[in-house]
Amino acid sequence: MTECINPVTLEIAWARLVSIVDEAAATFIRASFSTLAREANDFAVVLTDAAGRSIAQSSMSVPSFIGTLPASVRHFIERFSIAGMSDGDVFITNDPWKGTGHVHDVTVATPIFMAGKVIAFAAITSHMPDIGGRLRSAGVREIYEEGLQIPLLKLVEAGRTNEAVVAFIETNVRVPDATMGDIWSEVAACRKVAERLVEVLGEVGLDLDDISAEVRTRSEQAMRGAIAALPDGRHAYSLLHDGFEDRVRIEATVAIDGDRIHIDYTGTSEQLARAVNVVPIYTFAYTAYAVKALLSPDIPNNEGSFQPVTTWAPEGTILNPRFPAPGGARNMIGHLLPAVVMGALAPILPDRIWAPGASNSSVTIAGEHNRQRYAGMFFFNGGQGASSRHAGMPTLSFPSNLANTPIEVIEQTVPVRILHRRRRPGSGGAGFRRGGDGLDVAFEFIGDAPATCSVILTRWRIPPPGLNGGEAGAIARLSVNGQTRDPAEPLLLHRDDRVTIETAGGGGLGVQEDVQ
Amino acid sequence: MTDIIVKRPSPYRMAVDIGGTFTDGITEDVARGRIWVGKCLTTPEDPGIGVSDVIDQMLLQMKAAASAISPASIRDIVHATTLVTNTLIERRGARVAMILTAGTRDLLEIAREVRYDLYDLDLELPAPLVALDDCFELQGRIDADGTEFQTIDGNELNELLGSISTGDYEAVAVCLLHAYANDRHEKMVEAALIQHLPRMRVSLSSRVAPLPREYERASTVAANAYVQPLVADYLNVLRGELGRKGIESNLSVMLSSGGFTSAEAAARSPIQLLESGPAAGVLSANNAGGSIGEAQLLAFDMGGTTAKACVIADGEPGIIHSFETARVKRFKKGSGLPILVPSIDLIEIGAGGGSIAAISALGTLAIGPRSAGSVPGPVCYGRGGVEPTVTDADLILGYLDPLRFLGGEMTLDLAATQDALARLGKGLGLSAMQTAWGICSIVNENMANAARVHIAERGFDPRRFALVATGGAGPVHAVDVARRLRISRILCPMAAGAGSCIGLLAAAPRAERNLPRRAPLSNVEWNDVDQQLDLLRRDAAAELSSAGADTANVEWSLVLDMRYEGQGHNVDVTLSYETIDAGLADTIRALFDQRYCHLFGGLVPDGRLEIVNWRLIGTSPSMLKQFTWADGRAEQMTDRPRGRRDIFLPLENNVGMVDIYDRYSLPAGTRLRGPLILEERESTFVVPFPCDLLVHPNLTIDVRLDEEVVR
Repeated sequence: MTECINPVTLEIAWARLVSIVDEAAATFIRASFSTLAREANDFAVVLTDAAGRSIAQSSMSVPSFIGTLPASVRHFIERFSIAGMSDGDVFITNDPWKGTGHVHDVTVATPIFMAGKVIAFAAITSHMPDIGGRLRSAGVREIYEEGLQIPLLKLVEAGRTNEAVVAFIETNVRVPDATMGDIWSEVAACRKVAERLVEVLGEVGLDLDDISAEVRTRSEQAMRGAIAALPDGRHAYSLLHDGFEDRVRIEATVAIDGDRIHIDYTGTSEQLARAVNVVPIYTFAYTAYAVKALLSPDIPNNEGSFQPVTTWAPEGTILNPRFPAPGGARNMIGHLLPAVVMGALAPILPDRIWAPGASNSSVTIAGEHNRQRYAGMFFFNGGQGASSRHAGMPTLSFPSNLANTPIEVIEQTVPVRILHRRRRPGSGGAGFRRGGDGLDVAFEFIGDAPATCSVILTRWRIPPPGLNGGEAGAIARLSVNGQTRDPAEPLLLHRDDRVTIETAGGGGLGVQEDVQ
Repeated sequence: MTDIIVKRPSPYRMAVDIGGTFTDGITEDVARGRIWVGKCLTTPEDPGIGVSDVIDQMLLQMKAAASAISPASIRDIVHATTLVTNTLIERRGARVAMILTAGTRDLLEIAREVRYDLYDLDLELPAPLVALDDCFELQGRIDADGTEFQTIDGNELNELLGSISTGDYEAVAVCLLHAYANDRHEKMVEAALIQHLPRMRVSLSSRVAPLPREYERASTVAANAYVQPLVADYLNVLRGELGRKGIESNLSVMLSSGGFTSAEAAARSPIQLLESGPAAGVLSANNAGGSIGEAQLLAFDMGGTTAKACVIADGEPGIIHSFETARVKRFKKGSGLPILVPSIDLIEIGAGGGSIAAISALGTLAIGPRSAGSVPGPVCYGRGGVEPTVTDADLILGYLDPLRFLGGEMTLDLAATQDALARLGKGLGLSAMQTAWGICSIVNENMANAARVHIAERGFDPRRFALVATGGAGPVHAVDVARRLRISRILCPMAAGAGSCIGLLAAAPRAERNLPRRAPLSNVEWNDVDQQLDLLRRDAAAELSSAGADTANVEWSLVLDMRYEGQGHNVDVTLSYETIDAGLADTIRALFDQRYCHLFGGLVPDGRLEIVNWRLIGTSPSMLKQFTWADGRAEQMTDRPRGRRDIFLPLENNVGMVDIYDRYSLPAGTRLRGPLILEERESTFVVPFPCDLLVHPNLTIDVRLDEEVVR
C-alpha cells in the first residue's frame, strides 16, 4: 500500500524471519549427534542485524541463550571487524565471558553477505556432548579443569576449513565424532539461515535494517509501556542457596523508575573457586527473562524488548566473576535469578509470581564399555513453586526448558539400567497452594569398566523456600548404594553401583490454613 | 502417469466420510465412472445415524436410476471417521487400566518435563488419558539390546490381574520398557489377560507402536486402549446396520497413513484411524492431480476453523511416524498428546476463515489464533460476531457474494462488516479496504510461510509444485497463497464438499510392517533380516487381501530408517524389496548419501552408517478416478459469465471489475483468462491475477498464473 513499513508488511516480514530461524533449528535437531539438542533442547538459533542486535530467535530457545547469543556476535564483530570478514567465514568460540557462561556450549556464527556487504549474522549455540577436561561438576576450582577453551577463532575462513582448529578440538574431547558432528550441524544451521534470509529479503524487497529498527522500536515501546504500568518503587529480596563451605546468598534490589527497571545485585556473595560463577551476560539473561515472563509474555523477543531492563552486580561477586573463575555449573546459581526477581516483585504482582522452585539437575557419565567410548548427559528436573492461582508444577524444567531423556534412550546411550523414575510424593512445600513435587530417579551402573560420573544437584542443603507463609519444599539428595554423597565430588562408578537422585520440591504459597 | 489395469472387484463401491460438520457419501458405478452423492449433518451423539442416513439417500438415488441396482450389488464400502480424534479431544473414552514396568508408573504424568511456552506462567499441560490410580506396575525387565534381564513372576502377574478385574475397567494398555526390541513380556501379559479376563480389550505397545521412547509409546498405547471400546462397538453396530440394509460388502476403514484396513483390524488398533478423514482428503487431492498428470502437489485445505497442507511428491504423500493430538493450546507444538503411528504428513497451517483479526501488542495487525468459530461466527453472518474475521475481509474484498453465500441460503451483512473493518483499521491508520487486504495478506502469508517451512524441511522447492485447493475457504485463498509460494499452477477439483470420499474411492490398499533391527550397515545380519521380512510380507499380504487387494499386483518396497551412528533422528531411504543379502550394502550406502546430501547439504566426514529400522510397505496400484455426476445436474452448460462485480486486485492494489462464472455450468474444455471468479454452492474460486484457466473433463479447474505474477 505504501512504501514505508506499514503494520501489515511488518507483520509479514517479521513472521518470515522467525520462520527462518525455526527452520534452521529444525535442521540442527535432525542433524545433531547429542541427546542434549535433540532430546533436551539445550540450544538456540538467533538472527541478528549487522550490528549484532537480535531480530529473531528460534521459538523453543532456552532463555539464557536469547540473551547471550547476540552478545557473542558483537564479540566476533569486535575481534574480526566487519571489514575483516569474508563470505564463507564461520566463527567459533566457547569463551564463557563472550559465550554462554561455560565452556560446554560451543557458539558458532556466520556473517551473511548480500551484494558484497555484511547485512546480518546467524548464530547458534549448543551444549556439546563433551568438551574434554573433568566432567562438568560444581566442584571444579579453575576453568582450566573444565576442558578445552576455544577463543574467538575462524573455524572456516572464506569457505576453507581451518584444519588446525578441528584437530585441536578432536584431540581434546572424549567423543570427537559426536562433538565435531554437532559443530558441523551448527554450521549447517547457520548456512540455512543465510540461504533463506537472502531469499526472503529478495522477495519482500525490504532492507533488513529497516525491519530490524521497526521491530526493535515497537518491542521496546511495548516493554516500556508494561513497566510504566507498575508503580515506581524499590523492592528487595534475598535467596540462599547450597554453596560449599558457606551458603551462597543472592541479594537483589529491583527498582522501577518510570518505564525502566533496574536490578542491582549488590550484597550478593563473592565469587567462588567452584564452577558456579555466573558471567554478567548470563546474569542479565535470566533476570530479563523473569521480567519479560511477568510483564509482557506476548511481546516478541529481541534487543528492543530488553532495552528498558538493566542489571548490575559488583565485579568479583558470583554474578560478575573475574577470570579464571570456573562456571561449568553456572546454571545452579543463574537459574535462581527468576525466583529472586519474582520474590522482590511479589508485593506488587501477587497474582503473577511463582514461589521459588528447584531448577534442573543433571548427570554426566563417561567411560568405556565393550571397548567403545561413551559420554552422556541427562537432565532431571525438580518441583516448581506454587502461585496464587495454582499448585506448583511437579517435575518440570523452569526457568530453563530442558527435557528429560527417555529411559530407553539413556539405556541405549550409556551402560546403566534405570531402576525407577517417579515423583517424590509430598516433596512439594505445604501452603494455601502446594509446591510441586520433585523427582526420584535411581539407576544401576552396568558398564564393564569403571566410569566417572558427575552429578549436578541443586537445592540439596537449602530447600526452595515458600512465599507469603508457604512452606519450603523437601531438599534434594544424592546417594550411592544407600550412602548420602556430596554432589560436588565426582563419583567413580563400578559395576552394580546404585545411584539415587532425588530432586527438590517447590515452595508453597500462602498459609495452609487458608484452605479451610 | 499411465493408466493401470486393476482388478475391479465389484460394480458399485461406496465411500462414507464423517466430518466435523457434515457426513458425506459417494457411491461409484465402477464400470461407468458415474457417482451418486449423499450428505447430511454429522450426528455427534451417535455418528452411525448420519452414516445410515447418507447411505439411504444414495441407495434411493441409485434405485431411481436403475431399478436393477440392489444393495447387494455393493460389495465394497470404504469409511473414514473423526470418531477417534473427537473421543480424544472430548475426553469421553473408556476407563483404562495401564500396566507399566516397575519403577515407571508415573510415566504419563512426568511426560518430558518441558514447557511448550517459555513465557506462560499459567501453563496448562495435557492431562494423561489414564489417571495415576489406574496405572499398575509389574516386575520384569528387558534391557536396551532386547535381552531379558529379569523374568516376569507369574504370581505377581495373577495378583495384578486380580486388582484390575475388580476395577471396573473396559480396556487394558500395556507398555513395558524396551518392548519395541523384545515383545516377550508384553505377550505374556496379554496371554494372561486373555486367560483370566477374556472380555477385556488389550492393547500392547509392541503391537501398536513398536518404537523407542517410552513416554511417547505409552501415550500411544494408552490412547489406543482409550478409544478402542467405542470404535469397536461403533464398527460392530455399523456392520449390523449395513446387513439390515441388505449390504453384504467388505467394510474397510481409512488409516491415518492413507492406507485402509478391514473393520476387524481397525477395531484392534483404532489409534491408526486418528487422522482418517484428513488423510482421505489428501488422497482426493492426489487423485485430482494424478488424473491430469501432475505428481508434485501441495494439497491445501481450508475450512471455517482450520487450514491444512500436505506435500505430495511423485504422487506419494509424505508419511510421518509421530503426531500430536488433542492440543491444550492450538498451534503450540508440545501442548498435546504424542501419538506414534504412521500418518500422512499433514500440518495445520492456519485457523481457517473464522480467525479473528486484532491489533497486536506491537501495534501491528495480527490474525488468530482466536477464532470466531460458527457461533458467534464472522461479523457478516449477523449472529452477534463483532470482531472482524478472515471471512469478513473476503466479503469486503468482493471475493464473496453477500447474496449467494451457500447458494443463497444465507445473506451476509455487508454494512456491519464494513463498520467492523473500518473500526479496526482506524487503530492502524488504514481504510476498511486496506485493512481487509491486510488481513487477507497476513493470513495468506502465514499459511504460505508454514507451508514453505514444511516443504523446505522435506528438501523440496515449492516452485515445482501445483497447489490443489479444497474445503469451503480453500478456493477463496488458494491462488494468492500459491503466488506467495511462487507456485504458478493451481487446481481446484470438483465436489470439494465431498472431497474426502473421492479420496476413499481412489485410495490404494496399503499395509506397513516394522522390523526394528538396529545394526551398523557394515554388520547387518542379512539372513535374519531376509527371513523376518519374508514373514512380515506374508502377514501384510494377508491384510491387503482382506482389504480387497489383488495380492499379485501389490508393489513391495522397503524404507530404511538410517542415520550416522550417534545421531538421534533418522533419514529414510527407500528401495524396492528384492533380494536381501550383503550385496545390498553398497546400494543402501549410495542411496543414503544421496538423501542426506539432499536434506543437509553435505555428508558427515568419516561418519559410520547405521540402520535402525526396516519398514516393509505393500501397496496396490492406485486407482485414478474420473467421475461424472449421475444425477444429471448442470444441464445448461455455458461458458458465458453470469455477472460482473468489483473485487480487490492485489497487483493493481485497487478494486477492478471481473467476470463471475457459475462453475458447474462451464463445459469441459472451456478456456478463460483471469482475473475472474468461479462460484459454486459450497465455495468460491477466487482468481484475482492474470492467468490462463482450463476446465478439464473431470471438471477440475486448472489455473496457470502468468509468469510476471510469480516472477
